[in-house]
Amino acid sequence: MRADRINIPGIVTLLLVAAAWEASVRTGLVTFEYLPAPSAIAVAFAGIVRSGELLTNTAHTLRSVLIGWVLAGLIGGALGLIFGLSRFARRWFLASLEVLRPLPAIAFLPVALLLFSFSLTTELVVMIYASIWPMFINTMGGVSDVASRLHDVSLTLKLTRMQTLWKVLLPAAAPAIVVGARLCLGTTLVMAIIAEMIGNPHGLGYAVVSALMSIQPEQMFAYVLFIGVLAIALNYCLIVATRRLLPAYGREAANHV
Amino acid sequence: MAGGMADKATQAEAAGGGNIYECDAISLELFPHGQRRLIIDQLSLDVRAGEFLTIVGSSGTGKSTLLRLLGGLMPASSGAIRFRGAAVTGAPSGVVVVFQDYSNALLQWRSVARNVALGIEGKLNRAEIDRRVRQSLQMVGLEKNAKDHPWQLSGGMQQRVQIARALALNPDVMLMDEPFGALDAMTKASLQDEVLQVHARTATSFVFITHDIEEAVYLGDRVVVLAGPPGRIHKIVEIALPRPRDQMRTRQSAEFLNYRAELHAAVLSAGGH
Repeated sequence: MRADRINIPGIVTLLLVAAAWEASVRTGLVTFEYLPAPSAIAVAFAGIVRSGELLTNTAHTLRSVLIGWVLAGLIGGALGLIFGLSRFARRWFLASLEVLRPLPAIAFLPVALLLFSFSLTTELVVMIYASIWPMFINTMGGVSDVASRLHDVSLTLKLTRMQTLWKVLLPAAAPAIVVGARLCLGTTLVMAIIAEMIGNPHGLGYAVVSALMSIQPEQMFAYVLFIGVLAIALNYCLIVATRRLLPAYGREAANHV
Repeated sequence: MAGGMADKATQAEAAGGGNIYECDAISLELFPHGQRRLIIDQLSLDVRAGEFLTIVGSSGTGKSTLLRLLGGLMPASSGAIRFRGAAVTGAPSGVVVVFQDYSNALLQWRSVARNVALGIEGKLNRAEIDRRVRQSLQMVGLEKNAKDHPWQLSGGMQQRVQIARALALNPDVMLMDEPFGALDAMTKASLQDEVLQVHARTATSFVFITHDIEEAVYLGDRVVVLAGPPGRIHKIVEIALPRPRDQMRTRQSAEFLNYRAELHAAVLSAGGH
């Protein structure tokens, strides 16, 4: 995926879809009671921008996404490193973790709610639980899949264990770890929205639900579409950051990123 | 540099009676899928200080495994390996292995110079590291590529980077595992001559695995023919060709052709896969 090239056919399609939507709502071709036309959504969007509501809600969601992402990245990365390096850890503890993994994080939400009530803690617990996995799996895979030849090289060049870790294993696993961090960010955002809808009455997720409850479909659609744009923007930021951080990986890393 | 090397070689001779390596009845058993398999069987071999020893054999005769044992990358099941008189447990300092698959053995994210520096970083001061890196790259003719990355170089150049990385350690012994096996004939010939030059200019001993009989004769002071499986010594031939050797003159000489015929027959009668 190239982020720095503007996809003109893609944008044209997008505009055509919006135009078709607008036309079919106006002509009464489709008649859902609460389906607003794109123009009405745009008006509602301008409204929430002007009132400052959007900014407040976005700030809350972004803050929890950032905290959740950093914590999940650190926990998942550390666990991945331990399991990637230690065959012992994999043999004894991986099965237990694999049992936890398919457990849908959303099923955890009532538990967190019971323990931490309606709070940021609830939101973070659910986000982190869901998003440590991509980081964990990618880091573990990246570190344990380092070609056995590089272990031979570290031995024959008499690198210490710490040198092997910092100079060989982590850099070799970096492209996989970065992919893990990107997946982790995506999951964090999804879980933040869900947790705000149910567990913590703040932020963009709660804004969607309250627009729904107060029967303001234009506003609801405006928030939903904005969340989509936010997800794309976050992913794009990470792609740019990756290019800056890992320029030396050349062709190989370009395929990962 | 050459002076320092010569000193090391003399010490080694004093310690081991002229042998830098001594292998005494080494065997290696592995248990793939729970079945016992003998890979190397009671192999005894010495490497003389300063010599260029080449090892040939068909596949399955344990050539690469023998090199891994010498390099301390894996332990033998029984028997003793001594480097400069001391038992080998782990990779001995003064010994470095050069692998056939250069692209896996290089750190693709590091520049050529930083790849060459990998084994000496943190062990020497900045100035000495720079000096050694420059000198090693010069020896393999890559001084202009110091800032490139391995994936920007041809296969032959990447293998030169790996050789330079080994040279930067100032090794007593270079263990080379079919280093030119994946290269074209022209590149192979020029790398053979570069390795011979390193051998002539330093007192480094070489143990060089190949499946190319001509290469073994062209480079070696002695050629070991392995038989197997399980790997064992079939024959050792002293190569009395004069040095410096020359790709045209040496390879066309009657002696060279005789050695080639003798070793060809030996490899055939040794069997293998």
